[in-house]
Amino acid sequence: MQGLTVVQDLIRYRELLFQFVRRDISLRYRQAIMGFGWAILLPLLTMGASLVLRAVAFKGGAVGAPPLAALAVKAWAWGFVAGALTFGSQSLLSNISLVTKIYFPREILPVAAILTQCVDGTIGFCVLVIALPFLGAKLGLAALWFPVFLLLLVLLVSGLALLLAAANIFFRDVKYIVQVFLTFGIFFTPVVYDPSSFHGLARAAVMANPFAGILVGLDLALTRNMNLAATHMAGTRILWQPTDLIAPVLGTAILLVAGLGLFRRGSAWFAEVY
Amino acid sequence: MTPPGRIAFEEVWKEFRKGPAHDSLRDLVPALTRRLLTGRKDGATGSKREAFWALRDVSFDVVPGHCMGIIGGNGAGKSTTLKILTGILQPTRGRSILTGRVGSLIEVSAGFHMDLTGRENVFLQGAIMGMKRDEIRRRFDEIVDFSGVGEFIDTPVKRYSSGMNARLGFSIAVHLEPDALIVDEVLSVGDANFQQHAFGRLKEMVRGQIPAVIVTHQLNRIVELCDSCIVLERGAVRFHGLPEAAVSAYLHDDSSAQRVDPPDAPLRNLSLTPHWDGAVPSGSTLELVIAGEVPRALPADYRLELAVRRVTDGTRIHGFWLERTGYELPALGPFSWPLELKANLNTGLYQVDIFLYSPVAQRIILDGPRVLLQVEAEPPFMGDVYLGLAAR
Repeated sequence: MQGLTVVQDLIRYRELLFQFVRRDISLRYRQAIMGFGWAILLPLLTMGASLVLRAVAFKGGAVGAPPLAALAVKAWAWGFVAGALTFGSQSLLSNISLVTKIYFPREILPVAAILTQCVDGTIGFCVLVIALPFLGAKLGLAALWFPVFLLLLVLLVSGLALLLAAANIFFRDVKYIVQVFLTFGIFFTPVVYDPSSFHGLARAAVMANPFAGILVGLDLALTRNMNLAATHMAGTRILWQPTDLIAPVLGTAILLVAGLGLFRRGSAWFAEVY
Repeated sequence: MTPPGRIAFEEVWKEFRKGPAHDSLRDLVPALTRRLLTGRKDGATGSKREAFWALRDVSFDVVPGHCMGIIGGNGAGKSTTLKILTGILQPTRGRSILTGRVGSLIEVSAGFHMDLTGRENVFLQGAIMGMKRDEIRRRFDEIVDFSGVGEFIDTPVKRYSSGMNARLGFSIAVHLEPDALIVDEVLSVGDANFQQHAFGRLKEMVRGQIPAVIVTHQLNRIVELCDSCIVLERGAVRFHGLPEAAVSAYLHDDSSAQRVDPPDAPLRNLSLTPHWDGAVPSGSTLELVIAGEVPRALPADYRLELAVRRVTDGTRIHGFWLERTGYELPALGPFSWPLELKANLNTGLYQVDIFLYSPVAQRIILDGPRVLLQVEAEPPFMGDVYLGLAAR
């Protein structure tokens, strides 16, 4: 129910949402030397780092080393997560003068931050799509799974951003927690490694992270043409099994409901607490 | 069509807590742990923080076509009232009602981003105030014209003067077509010319078929614009009635209608009765009666004096010893002096008061009653004084 009112509010205030996104995009790229290059720089850097790591840890082409295309997709997705959570969690605080002076549904601010990041992500995606065939990706019909996982990712990140943005009003150290989460999150999330290198419980532990299933799913659907309703093996290694969907779906549902609910409850106090 | 707007407060109370809340998890976690371990609430959980009531049982109802003013000193609860009305704050008890599309002339340039151009900010601020893109596009030229920003509209607003900034914000706000209007202290934007311009536009908006609530320190504006007015004092409604009466109640903490003379007062039952009603035109002749009673012989130097002050800033515009009109205080007993006075003043709100003054002691011996005088210049003129310039 809460979610429905929020969606109604967002539709009613779509004009404002649009204006905020427009403002954030033009501010991000105005007076920036690289312009829209920033949108692909972060994924490129992540990919570069992954390559170094791959060369060191997997001695190039060893079992479990993710192919280049996989690295590119996951680095791109992680770049989106990092940007969305950084800007999303700061969205209320950086517009606090509006929050304390003018009424509008407060959800607009974190949602606008996520949408801005989506625009960034789209630019990165264009580059990614052009590069993928050269990195050895196999594009096929199973790529239809890609938008499904992308939607999951956007919703999961939105729930988390709502939660963090609201918490940020009440507790200023949330900002640092987000940075720590993003810095170390990349080690606990299969961005530069593949969960298929793990077996049994270790693999289950890696896949319990809702981001893991989404990132792996995005990659397999787009670069390996894998139908994600089935199990896929490579020798004895499990590349994907349908139960890998549990953590992403459950995690997204819980975080979205909690994010929307707590944000609404907290929003009555935003102007007062600050 | 949208239903007409309505602005109302039903027995609204608002509580604020003094002192800091938790600002970081670093403070909260130990506090919660302590609470869990000892099983009792302690200061850090916020329960010990002192509460105070910013609004106490405030009620009003503004119907379409009606304009209500809110006046009161600093901290009386005016801003809190507006913040609750616009939904920024929630009332602790009671209900706040505001229906229709709200035009709020509060912080009219709050949404401006310094790095964006004037044009971009018009669209941004317009959206924040609830305008659609086509609507802004349609009225864009009008908005820019009204603001007087002109050719600078494509310059980032960080290069604007603060006046230009405020003027542009105000222009956007007054080009909204709201169902209900809320105005907070924006009448002092820009130079005198722009203020006149802005006030005229505001008047048009208020005269429409919408409810309006106005907060301002410019008391003459309240009298000019509003149909009613409330006076807030420490969060409570002290007075609710006609704007003139409200302004007068606000200016005189002791209700001048029921003055009680101290037993040793040199004059008793001193009264000042105006024989005019509502706004008077500049240059008109006003009649008033000053009456009272001398209970015992007064020192020879005591004189009654009349003063006219501008309400907005308290400047004394005129002072006159009443003896010089030809009347004289009797040695003993009652007196009643019919007088006339020319309202050679510009549009504004004035206060006429009388007092007993001792030139020897150089101080006011007794403050008498005061009345309000609202002057309306037609046609309008510049400056403070009406000199009756006319063709002959």
